[in-house]
Amino acid sequence: MTSNRVFFNTSSRKARCARRFLQSLLRIRQRRPGSLSSEEVRQRSRRIKMAAYSSMACTVGSRRAWSRAIIFRLQSRAGRHGRMRRRCLGVKKKPSREMSQADRLRDLVPGGEALDFCNLLEETAHYIKCLSSQVEIMKSIADIYCRS
Amino acid sequence: MDPPLINESSFSAANPSAYSLAEIWPFPVNSASAIGEPTAGLGLRIANFGQIMGQFADSSANRDVSVDESTVTEQSGSRGGGRKRRDVSSEDESSKIVSTSSGSGMNASNGKRMKISRTPDENGGSKAELEASSVAGEKPAEESKPAEQSKQDYIHVRARRGQATDSHSLAERARREKISERMKILQDLVPGCNKVIGKALVLDEIINYIQSLQRQVEFLSMKLEAVNSRMNHTVEGFPLKDLGVQTFDAAAMIYGSQATREYAQGSQPEWLHMQVGGSIERAS
Repeated sequence: MTSNRVFFNTSSRKARCARRFLQSLLRIRQRRPGSLSSEEVRQRSRRIKMAAYSSMACTVGSRRAWSRAIIFRLQSRAGRHGRMRRRCLGVKKKPSREMSQADRLRDLVPGGEALDFCNLLEETAHYIKCLSSQVEIMKSIADIYCRS
Repeated sequence: MDPPLINESSFSAANPSAYSLAEIWPFPVNSASAIGEPTAGLGLRIANFGQIMGQFADSSANRDVSVDESTVTEQSGSRGGGRKRRDVSSEDESSKIVSTSSGSGMNASNGKRMKISRTPDENGGSKAELEASSVAGEKPAEESKPAEQSKQDYIHVRARRGQATDSHSLAERARREKISERMKILQDLVPGCNKVIGKALVLDEIINYIQSLQRQVEFLSMKLEAVNSRMNHTVEGFPLKDLGVQTFDAAAMIYGSQATREYAQGSQPEWLHMQVGGSIERAS
């Protein structure tokens, strides 16, 4: 455990993110009694996605615009405690041709609507980093579960 | 005005000589101011000047008389000055060669030096004028040339540095540099984006990559949901320790493959193992 503690102390952002995500996965798993309707499966997958984004954002904290936007959305949704809107996380409205690339990027990066192009690129870089690491975490967890 | 002053000073210094002259001609020097006499007196005084200096230096008691005679000396001085002025005027009016000759012959005074210095310019005629004109022509040319050069330099510098002088364009340039810098960072982040040239294409790549990542997250969440639900059902039949070991191995393998990444490190597998094992323990 001492070694683990050391590892915890020196754990990178990715490790913290993975821990958060696993905890939320466990919570989601515990919450469900056992029915397997398609609606519930979809809801659960959405919840997992939300958990993925929230773990990502919470790990980063409120330093970044995108993480602030995600946390704010999750908090507002938690207050409503209804179903999440499709627009809020991940897939958004289809990019139209007449939209400029910067606007498309603003749409994709959460919290990027209010940013100028320069800051938007910075946020995008950070967001891509975190998102790719999150994808890796999820892939590895899925692989672990599949093998077990 | 320098020559009369010098004359006055010389005459004041020559006061004893004037006194001596006044002894000889008491009044005519004052009243009958013929031109020839004062000039002669002047000549006498000037001739006596060198001798009288010693007398003047010796005779300090003669000053009372010299005060009386100061009028004479002043008048004579004024006459001398007038004559010299006349000479100057005659020099001015008459030929300049004479003036130059007289100037060269005479003792050096500032006015005459000025005269001498002037006369070659005036006499030098075409050459001096040409020189002057050439100098004058060169001067404006030189002045204009440096002005043009400086103007050109200025404009050139402005053109070259361009926005650097203007605060707005300076900020704009700084912003553009920042954007290109961040675009480079993004190009390094997005795989396969280094070969793409052009901002629009790079942005397209970035957008596509983010979309693919978000889709991946969605897909993986669905997959995890399925695995998670299945895990819930299957965990009960699994021996926990085997599961833990298996997950540890799997995690070690997975993260071992990512060892090249910055945050792979050996901590991840053990930690993941513990976390997954713990979660499974708690879940069971």
